[in-house]
Amino acid sequence: MHSPRTAYWFLAPALILYLAFVAVPIAQVVGYSFFSWDSGQLDQFVGFANFARLGTDSVFWAALWHNAVWVVLTLAFPLLAGLLLSAILAERRPNTVRALAAIYFIPRTIPLVVAGIIWGWIYNPIFGLLNYGLDILGLGQFAHAWLAEESTALFSLNVVGAWTFFGFCVVIYLAAIQSIDPSLYEAADIDGAGWGAKFRDITVPLLRNSTLFLGLYAAIEAMRFFDLIWVTTQGGPGYATEVLTTHVYKTFFLVGDFGYAAVLSVVLLVIVLSLASLSFWLLRSR
Amino acid sequence: MKRIAVVATIGLSATQVAAETVVTQWDQFSQAGITAAGPAMDELIQTCAPALGGAEILRTVAPSIGIRDSYRLAVAAGKTPDLAYTWPAASVLSGYARTGALAPLDEYYAEYGWEHVNDFYRGRNSYDGSLYGVPMEQDLMGVYYNEALFEEHGIAVPTTYDEFVAAANAFKEAGVVPIAFGNRDRWPATNTFSLILGLTAGKQVEEDVFFRDTPWTNEAFLQAATVFQDWAEDGWFPRGFNGVGYDEANALFLSGRAAMTITGTWVIQDMIRGSDNIALGVFMLPPIADGVAPGTMWGEGSQWQLSASADEATREAAAAYLDCLVSDESQRVWVQKGYTVPIGTTPEELAEWGAHPVVHSFFEQGLATPESNFYDLHTTLPESVTQVLYPELQRLAGGDTTPEEFLQAMQSAWEAAVANGDRWIP
Repeated sequence: MHSPRTAYWFLAPALILYLAFVAVPIAQVVGYSFFSWDSGQLDQFVGFANFARLGTDSVFWAALWHNAVWVVLTLAFPLLAGLLLSAILAERRPNTVRALAAIYFIPRTIPLVVAGIIWGWIYNPIFGLLNYGLDILGLGQFAHAWLAEESTALFSLNVVGAWTFFGFCVVIYLAAIQSIDPSLYEAADIDGAGWGAKFRDITVPLLRNSTLFLGLYAAIEAMRFFDLIWVTTQGGPGYATEVLTTHVYKTFFLVGDFGYAAVLSVVLLVIVLSLASLSFWLLRSR
Repeated sequence: MKRIAVVATIGLSATQVAAETVVTQWDQFSQAGITAAGPAMDELIQTCAPALGGAEILRTVAPSIGIRDSYRLAVAAGKTPDLAYTWPAASVLSGYARTGALAPLDEYYAEYGWEHVNDFYRGRNSYDGSLYGVPMEQDLMGVYYNEALFEEHGIAVPTTYDEFVAAANAFKEAGVVPIAFGNRDRWPATNTFSLILGLTAGKQVEEDVFFRDTPWTNEAFLQAATVFQDWAEDGWFPRGFNGVGYDEANALFLSGRAAMTITGTWVIQDMIRGSDNIALGVFMLPPIADGVAPGTMWGEGSQWQLSASADEATREAAAAYLDCLVSDESQRVWVQKGYTVPIGTTPEELAEWGAHPVVHSFFEQGLATPESNFYDLHTTLPESVTQVLYPELQRLAGGDTTPEEFLQAMQSAWEAAVANGDRWIP
């Protein structure tokens, strides 16, 4: 038998790395939030004055709202589409399942920066494929400057986010469906249940953990994403696609207000950690 | 940054600095795009090496748009490069001067003269009575136009604002985009609006706002904001201009699908290179409001600045090298190899050195009004105000806010910046 102290020795390397690259930087950011900065240089201790600015920062509240909308839209569309597609796909032949799952998963492998560039071209108001397609179909009156109008920009970007995420949902759901005991479906068939009834009463309830995982994963990702917005709209037009991460970036890198940027980062960190904790607790409790 | 310790004896002149001295240099002179003066910089590093007195240049090229952000991080990390060519001057430069990150350059101005830097540029590179930057490039705003399209539609180059309005409307009627304008990158509208503002309010009113207590919500600024919004609402810009990139807008113009584009000399080399399919011309936008003098927006592009943390030998070497970079002899290299026109270069010199006719025309017109040339907003305002200006101009042009609301938002940001001590006054 080894003493507990021996275990700590084995844990030490990982713990030191964690402290050096996670705990200390977080503590540093928290510390920065209590100071004012001038042109990138530490100025003076200001207590909670930087935090008090949150209340009157309309861009912060707009960004928070956009993050919340993004979470809801992500939960509404990619998850639902992924669930339905995987349920349909699961009944096909194994080769078909493998091929289609791979195809659906391809957008997930594309970096968001690249996805942003691709969709930036699709949405481009001058030479964009989407408006061109609408014109060809005689639907030119529905053409928009998709990313350049406040009314369409956030939703249009969310479509890109959904495009990159739904394939991931399909793969996760597919794996979960294939682990469901086939005898449940056979029993339902004997009872005369149709596809809809089996989906509603067997598939959906038994995918609860997967749905929970995907939902919380999507929510956390929705708070963290940055690259897609930055390469397409930089938070514009106006503040229409501003999210917390772009607000942090602008405040830190462009304005040089390191103290307030640290406050925004702390808020973002608290939200993401809360979601992660909720996720951990819910998944552990089942 | 400083890799090698300086061993020069205190009091030695720049030409006697020991060979161990390394001057770290950050600049933005790349081989293409905005400020594509890389070939000139490469040559001048060789040419000016003797001025270093044995010291060496350790050069880093950073993207022109991003260099200001990289520089701020370097300052924050205590790694300020010894010599940097970055932007903007005015508020941002004075912020670094105020916090002691930059070395004052008064003694070098006295030693080397640098008389080509006029009072306007000296003011933009000063803080609290001392000079902290040596501006080099001369940036002007103007209207690039497609001569063939103007001729085809029987439109003469406008000499009054009414003629400009008539020309833009005529192109619109003819199905030609009047002004190739793309503002996805957020900053191009700032330049366009700066030009409109200067030609509507004039330099004096601008200075009353920037340096004194006149609010942004004054009548002249309101007229300028209204004009800018009218340009957008009248369909002078391409569809979805807030979703069109700056480069895409330039490409639209160079492809012959737009009659004009309003931008600066910082992209003149790309305009010339890309103008194979069009006949490129330049004119200055005429005054918009009655009683306002002709002029254009001008600035220094970027400026050379020295780190306060550099030791004396390094600063001496860097200043001597800088004197070479901005010398009369080097001006010609910047023009011929870098398509960049240094401050102090005359139109006559441009003609003598064989500058492209468009370059000559642009600077001849832009430099004809030195007394009334005015300010570029996003290199003049504090960064906190600029970051409000960018989105608010998108909203103004997009019709999502009124001119009054736009100016009120600017006034609020301005008051906060002034209260924070961020305002620059020359």
